[in-house]
Amino acid sequence: MNTVGYKIKKGILYLLLIILALLCLLPFLLMMINSTRSGVEITTGFTFIPSSHLKENWEQLFKFVNLFRGMGNSLLVAVPATILCGYFSSITAYALAMYKFKGNKLIFIVNVLFMMIPAQLSLIGFYNLCMTLGLVNSYIPLIIPAVAAPGTVFFLRQYVQATLSPALIEAARIDGAGELRIFHKIVFPIMIPGVATMSIGAFIGNWNNYLTPLILLNNPEKMTLPVMISTLNAATDLQSNQGAIYLGVAISVIPILISFCFFSKYIISSISAGGVKE
Amino acid sequence: MKLKKVVSALLVSTMLLSCVACGNNKNTDDANKDNNDTKTPNTEAADDNNTPDDSADATGDGKLVIWTLAADLEQFAEKYMESHDVEVETVVIEPANYPTKVQTALNGGQTEPDIIVGEPQMLEDFFDAGYFEDLNQAPYNAQDYADQIVDYVWEVGQDADGIQRAISYQITPAGFYYRRDIAQEVFGTEDPEEIGKLFKDYPTILETAKTLKDKGYRIFASDGELNFFSGNTAWVVDNKLTVSEQRYAYMDLCVELYKQDLTAYAAQWSTPWYQAMSGPVPVLTADSDVNVWDATEFASATEGGATTEIFAYGLPAWGVLTMRDNVGETSGKWGVCAGPTYGFSGGTYIGISSNSERKDTAWDFLKFCTLNEETADWWIEKSEGDTVSLLSALEKHKDDGNEVYGGQHLYSFWLEQAEGLDYSVVTRYDTAIGNAWSNAITAIKTDEKSKEDAIAGFYDEVEATYPELTIERE
Amino acid sequence: MAKNQVMTKSKQRNRNNVAYLFVLPFVVVFLIFSVYPVLRTLYLSFTSYKGFGDPVWLGLDNYKRVLTDKFFWRAFGNTLKIWGVNIIVQLGLAFLLTILFSDIKYKMRGLPIFRAIYYLPNLIACTSVAFLFKTLLDWKYGSVNQMLISAGITSTQINWLGDVNIAPYVISIVGAWMWFGNSFIVLMAGVQGISTDYFEAAAIDGCGRWTRFFKITIPLLKPILLYTCITSLIGGLQLFDLPYLMNGPQGGTAGQPNGVLQTAVMYLYKFGFETRQTGYASAIAYTLFIIILIVSIIQFKWLGKED
Repeated sequence: MNTVGYKIKKGILYLLLIILALLCLLPFLLMMINSTRSGVEITTGFTFIPSSHLKENWEQLFKFVNLFRGMGNSLLVAVPATILCGYFSSITAYALAMYKFKGNKLIFIVNVLFMMIPAQLSLIGFYNLCMTLGLVNSYIPLIIPAVAAPGTVFFLRQYVQATLSPALIEAARIDGAGELRIFHKIVFPIMIPGVATMSIGAFIGNWNNYLTPLILLNNPEKMTLPVMISTLNAATDLQSNQGAIYLGVAISVIPILISFCFFSKYIISSISAGGVKE
Repeated sequence: MKLKKVVSALLVSTMLLSCVACGNNKNTDDANKDNNDTKTPNTEAADDNNTPDDSADATGDGKLVIWTLAADLEQFAEKYMESHDVEVETVVIEPANYPTKVQTALNGGQTEPDIIVGEPQMLEDFFDAGYFEDLNQAPYNAQDYADQIVDYVWEVGQDADGIQRAISYQITPAGFYYRRDIAQEVFGTEDPEEIGKLFKDYPTILETAKTLKDKGYRIFASDGELNFFSGNTAWVVDNKLTVSEQRYAYMDLCVELYKQDLTAYAAQWSTPWYQAMSGPVPVLTADSDVNVWDATEFASATEGGATTEIFAYGLPAWGVLTMRDNVGETSGKWGVCAGPTYGFSGGTYIGISSNSERKDTAWDFLKFCTLNEETADWWIEKSEGDTVSLLSALEKHKDDGNEVYGGQHLYSFWLEQAEGLDYSVVTRYDTAIGNAWSNAITAIKTDEKSKEDAIAGFYDEVEATYPELTIERE
Repeated sequence: MAKNQVMTKSKQRNRNNVAYLFVLPFVVVFLIFSVYPVLRTLYLSFTSYKGFGDPVWLGLDNYKRVLTDKFFWRAFGNTLKIWGVNIIVQLGLAFLLTILFSDIKYKMRGLPIFRAIYYLPNLIACTSVAFLFKTLLDWKYGSVNQMLISAGITSTQINWLGDVNIAPYVISIVGAWMWFGNSFIVLMAGVQGISTDYFEAAAIDGCGRWTRFFKITIPLLKPILLYTCITSLIGGLQLFDLPYLMNGPQGGTAGQPNGVLQTAVMYLYKFGFETRQTGYASAIAYTLFIIILIVSIIQFKWLGKED
């Protein structure tokens, strides 16, 4: 089997895989490198050698916005939203999957319908609503809607059906456990891998969410990271130094990269599961 | 059957919910009696039960909230705070999203921001929607200040009925910023009057561009330098789409500049575009084999025609600020001259939100920014050359020389340009129609369509976007 | 006996009533934050609402206008074109990788690490991706052209985002770059679901690699492929961020050059937020939704038959 030809072929295949991997990493790398270069250097050419302007770019950027404040704000939104999304989606999914009750099917169908609606469609109505409820410039409309996440519910419903055996619940019932207790003590732990995977997705989504916070938040102190990044584009004095903008973008990506390092296994299993389910 | 019940139950509950929402809306409106009915503020704005005296500074908390488009107002706010016991909060929002944000906030009856602004093409919609307070009423009586401000600026701030609703602290007529040293070398003169002749109409600009290219320069860094001179005529007159001769001449020029490779093809506001202000930029053509990654090779190639210098930028008066930050070594070598038409762009027009509860403070701030000579003096110095709209300040500084421009007296130049402007040509349709027109230009210059087809396509696009306009094809 | 049964039944009913409690928070929030705004948009789509003032009822006028608006259909066509090329590249690449990693002869290693790296582009916000590629692909000053020219691959700069015949495909490919890792993971999971016994048995029977591929892999992956294609079509029809941010020179909804980058949702956005014809924008939104709905129904029917 292990002929020379075979080895060469295999080597070429690995090479191709690595090139593709580099293509995926390249923009990240360029971003990091460019954030250490000055605007002039960036226009005159392109290199993989970091330059010495990181400090300047940093100062210029932070003179304009406090990205760490934005990061804190983003966390303040993304963390509770993720927790709410995880918990309420799983309890809803569990109910939809395991109980027979009037409206079950309807909720499910409406849920699927809403996965198909362009997000821009409800923006105006959503804002009017927040106005009416006096929720503008508050994090509540960024957090509370996470309770109803159609995509997550859809996925977790499939997940429960696949992983949870009704016999287990029956057994718990015979032992006299209450329904809510059953959910907390038995069902939820079983669902954790699924919930975790969806939560990471939800976290990234919330972290990168741009349009809603942009429309809803008025106070600069409250702005989240993507909104801050977008204001960099409005700042003409920064435009002339792309290095500072690259630095801003790089800083905003770092938390995502770190969380990916820790949770990539979950993310991948979530996508895999999503595909196989159908 | 059961499903049906559930459906109806759901529907009923949603309807109830909408009703509750509507009800809420009314309640809040009732509660805020001194607030306008948010849905039709323009009809009620002038109602006497809503005079500023009633609602002005009802909060009395010594605060002021500003939503603005450019960072300038932030500096005005800081200055204001030095002498006033008011805490000003400034929010800078990028222009693309500014109207959406103001629209959603004011429609919902938000009492903040207190100060809102708009660029000219946004104002018509803002005025119609009733977002801007009527400044002609007491206690503002803005009409009393009319002769203190440059005419066109005053007009931009008026709604269709001639009511003053916004005032700008700056004028923004456009001109060409050109390199005196290159002018001297190529044309044998650097005098703004003379150079202005090189830009006097579209065919002449084309000739100028060719001359420059022959000498190894490019006339413009980008394709967009002519934007501000695309024709000082209205796109829409009496609800009818109008394409003037000027527009066609402009189209031809854009096509030729592109086809004959006469600009440096940087994207406007991109880094290379800024770089070209301070010196050579690489123009990589078919025959250039320079390795741009190698700094020394790059430098030595400068003589080989692989790089070029840019002759001119077409920018409004606030371009002075852009140049200020970017000219670097070329400072002192610049001049400013008139373009083929009068033109202007942008300008931050300040007004008071009709929902504001701090109208007195807001008006005081507005006056501070626009009608106060001390502020104007301070701003001229602070911004190193922005052009204010206050006539007395312009008069006072008319002999100020600007070092970047070899001591040229810019304020009198800009005032002259501003006086030539016909503001009535600006309409709310301009952005969309302008986009359609530049689509047509792109189609022609890339040989995708013939001129006739492209223009027909332009008419179709305008018709689809604004069915209410009368369109007569030629 | 009978009594006992009644007991269980009522118990069961009780139990099922608990489910209402479980779904209650979801339903309430859903009705308020999702259903209400969407219904309001539905109402607006029958009016001349401009973003302010009172909406005037127009009946079906807006819908008639959408159906006869050739620029809407052009935008729709653009969307399909960008999506079509995108999905071919994206799935093609994912498919090749899947075949490679599932090949029993080569037994490629390092699947977890490659998979993770290929997935990375999914993580960056679209704004950053667009900014990055717009800079890299700049006509005269972008690094990509600099690289191609230095390497002698091309002698003139390619106007990636300014040429009507290239720009849509550039968007497709940037999209494919962003999302192929995701497709790869889905397909790979599908293949891992196929027992290797099949392949080994087939190999023993003397079937070549390509026979195995066409007789085993493809048929077994068909449902997943279909699913991926169609869900991506639903997503593809909503394509907005990438072309919105990458069309030039300054972005926006015009879809420059010459409107070829204007997608259906960008067209919606133009009316909703740029020219303030909110009523018409709402009608566009619902027209799109109906199209997506039809596609989805076909999908469910189709997949239903497969099983």
